Amino acid sequence: MPATDYQASFLGRISIRRNQVIAMDGNHEQELQDLELFSKHVSERFAELLSSPDDVPFDALLSISWLRKLLDFFLCCEAEFKGILMMGNDPSQISKPPLDRLIPEFLDRSVKALDVCNAVTTGLESVRHYQKLAEIVVSALEQKPIGDGQSRRAKKALTSLMSAMNVDDKECSAAKATERSWSFSRRGVSSKDRVPEHFRSVSNQVAKNWSAAKQIQAMTNNLVPPRGADGSGLASPVYTMSVIMVFVMWALVAAIPCQERNGLLAIHFPAPKQVNWAQSIIGLHEKIGEEWKKKEKKGTAGLLDEMQKMEKLGNILMDFTDSFQFHGDITDQKAEEAAAHAAELAETCQRMEEGLLPLQMQIREVFHRIVKTRTELLNALDQVGKSSPPLL
Amino acid sequence: METPENSNKDNSGYESAEKIILRWDSTASEEGRERMIFGTDRQEADVYLQAVDEIQRSLSSASISDCSHNVDADNQSKVNTTIQIAMARLEDEFRNILIIHTSALEIDSLFDSSTSFSSSTPTHHDLEVDEDCISDDSGISRNNLLQLHHCESSDSSTYRTSSSIREVDLMPAEAICDLQAIAMRMIAAGYLRECIQVYGSVRKSSVDSSFRKLGIEKLSIGDVQRLEWEALEGKIRRWIRAARVCVRILFASEKKLCEQIFDCVGTDIDDACFMETVKGPAIQLFNFAEAISISRRSPEKLFKILDLYDALMEFLPDIEAVFDSKSSDSIRVQAAEILSRLAEAARGILSEFENAVLREPSRVPVPGGTIHPLTRYVMNYISLISDYKQTLIELIMSKPSTGSRYSGDPSTPDMEFTELEGKTPLALHLIWIIVVLQFNLDGKSKHYRDVSLAHLFMMNNVHYIVQKVKGSPELREMIGDDCLRKLTGKFRQAATSYQRATWVSVLYCLRDEGLHVSGSFSSGVSKTALRERFKTFNAMFEEVHRTQSMWLIPDGQLREELRISISEKLLPAYRSFLGRFRSHIESGKHPENYIKYSAEDLETAVLDFFEGYPAS
Repeated sequence: MPATDYQASFLGRISIRRNQVIAMDGNHEQELQDLELFSKHVSERFAELLSSPDDVPFDALLSISWLRKLLDFFLCCEAEFKGILMMGNDPSQISKPPLDRLIPEFLDRSVKALDVCNAVTTGLESVRHYQKLAEIVVSALEQKPIGDGQSRRAKKALTSLMSAMNVDDKECSAAKATERSWSFSRRGVSSKDRVPEHFRSVSNQVAKNWSAAKQIQAMTNNLVPPRGADGSGLASPVYTMSVIMVFVMWALVAAIPCQERNGLLAIHFPAPKQVNWAQSIIGLHEKIGEEWKKKEKKGTAGLLDEMQKMEKLGNILMDFTDSFQFHGDITDQKAEEAAAHAAELAETCQRMEEGLLPLQMQIREVFHRIVKTRTELLNALDQVGKSSPPLL
Repeated sequence: METPENSNKDNSGYESAEKIILRWDSTASEEGRERMIFGTDRQEADVYLQAVDEIQRSLSSASISDCSHNVDADNQSKVNTTIQIAMARLEDEFRNILIIHTSALEIDSLFDSSTSFSSSTPTHHDLEVDEDCISDDSGISRNNLLQLHHCESSDSSTYRTSSSIREVDLMPAEAICDLQAIAMRMIAAGYLRECIQVYGSVRKSSVDSSFRKLGIEKLSIGDVQRLEWEALEGKIRRWIRAARVCVRILFASEKKLCEQIFDCVGTDIDDACFMETVKGPAIQLFNFAEAISISRRSPEKLFKILDLYDALMEFLPDIEAVFDSKSSDSIRVQAAEILSRLAEAARGILSEFENAVLREPSRVPVPGGTIHPLTRYVMNYISLISDYKQTLIELIMSKPSTGSRYSGDPSTPDMEFTELEGKTPLALHLIWIIVVLQFNLDGKSKHYRDVSLAHLFMMNNVHYIVQKVKGSPELREMIGDDCLRKLTGKFRQAATSYQRATWVSVLYCLRDEGLHVSGSFSSGVSKTALRERFKTFNAMFEEVHRTQSMWLIPDGQLREELRISISEKLLPAYRSFLGRFRSHIESGKHPENYIKYSAEDLETAVLDFFEGYPAS
């Protein structure tokens, strides 16, 4: 069959395949159905992620709740994928081409994904830290009427918050992360020379040379849609699952500050034209890419929607506290505005409070699933050795 | 109701307090920046704290009595400002005290003292599988020298010790008092969050620094998968030592410090501070163990994985004691998950090992029929397993997966487990491994062209198995004497088969029949036939002598026994043959061509057998 036939529509492809095989046994039929179903579900779920923000209730792109949806999406696809993989009639398929190459590549990607999960989990700790600082701001500005004391308090916390977000971001974009060290003999810290008090940097738990962007880039190696005869059997779902895995990791890293994200935008997603979920993933990639470009211009921290809000509100409130400090009295209107912004900030903090821990747990769940599938694949590979007859 | 007198007093108290606070405002005055309140002058500190208390009091009394004319929005605001200035200052002081008194733990002394906690019985020793290893197509032995060894007694982790948490005083009592005093004021003024932030950032930095000193590395999972296992073994050993110190001393001490400082203000707060300090480092610590627990399984990894398992089991109670709050759930859960994965890995490796023994494909026959490297490897391996008996008995819960007696699969041996009632699953696995080993060896023996050598090979190897089992009390106890008897029978059987294979035809030359002509005793011994016999015997014996001197029976006693057994059959037969027929030869021409050897010559020659002489 000429290669161009496989560029035809999804349905067209199936019909070609059906024409090729004259007699099909029931199991093969079942397998094909499963593969179709898998593909269908993937595209449906992708579309849900992409739904227009005008819809109610839709989660803003890269918000905590959207990320949770994304991870749910991953877990569902993964479960289906595993089912397809493990139900295969012929376990020795794994050791034959093209799977003998594709599976080890998939396993390698899995390991990288695990490291990304860990890095993102560490990054979430930073986000938690910002939340705590923001809560100080909220707590200060909650009191009415806002007095000089509260304003100063808020300003202090805002300064820490903003520089924390910036520092972390710079470190995430820097080619190498420098380690902070306090000189322990140092006495007397003046508040004028205030160094951000959080000297934890996201790099603390991750190895020095580790780069999230590079890991994800490496994950896209050899990620090509299966062609020709390879397109049947397990090669296709392996490819699909790989793309999903890479995309999810990529989105997580874009949203959450973690070590070394230079060049994240440049990562190219090889989305084949003939799969029906291609549009969705391209769309998502573009949207997130746009946000990233904006971020690079403004120099904000990670794309997490709540963090962006926090930053925006932080800047506004910083202006407010500045004007308080330098101009003394403020109008009632300004006070009300500030109070409204503080309330928004409180709401953002609340969403973080409610969502960060479940998000971390979900990432952990993703971690476990990837480990489980990997272990089972490794076992299967070992088993295949068993079936070859021993020499007498 | 305040009297004018009282309010005056209050006012002056308030005013002097306010002055003190403002004096120390580091954003406003030079003097405020230069010195620290705490740490220099005890009195200064007390005065300052009193001032803060005074301001606090006026704030709360102001909010209580809403009909006092002294209070209006401006005053309220001023008080708040003063509080904020005080809190900012206290925050700095708090940080400063923490920093000054933060010194990295004396790590070396901690190591010594932590290992002295455990009563170690050196049950472990270095074991080396010996020199010759099979060719590269073996699935089991990788590299030339496979070292099966586990840790020396000092950090062997299979001893069970009771929980030995040891909290170290991280700060002098005076500093703690000061910190307590400051914390109380900050929390009373509603500045709890700031307090936690400052505390967490300084202490976490200290923990990070201790981590570096303990040599705890930041390896990614990818790194761990890529490293050679030998390198990882060293890292695991170091990790175990470091983790013990971390959990029992470092984390426990941090927890105690939190409790000491924030004791008076409630447990949630000291929990929060503790987690701020140690959560990240704890996750980093366990990530390494997790990476090991998910690494690809292969037989040589078993023992280090068991070491890691044992170590984690050992300080799991400590982990649970130290991380006992709700917010530290994830850490406890992670530790439990790692344990579970390590257990799974151990089971998987054992299974994998059994398959590998079964499948081991090398076909090159070992020269001289001696012990096959596979035999050595496997027996060493299961000896080590028996050393880890305590742990493995708990971990191995199911019988080996094997065909039943009637599986009909020619590629696996049969084993009926009902015969082995009452044995632990671990013991069943060990027995199964021996069965499988024999099965494999049996297959290998068929590659010898000489069937006698095949039998010798089996005899040597099964004997070795028996010796190894006898040599290890734990192994012997698990394998059981029944099995041992069967194995002994097997190698004796092999010895008998060898003798038959080699010597029947040789001794056949020395038989009576066919030599006598016309059946009468004294007359007619066919000289030709007799000469033929002698010649054949000589040739055969020489051939046997030539080849079988190159064969090897490593075990001295077995070698002796077999030689004696051969001699016992050979020499009397030869002597008797000589006795009866030598005269017939000696009466003919060139008797020396036929009677080449005396019985003593043969006796001596037998001593060459199985010496493993190189081919001449």
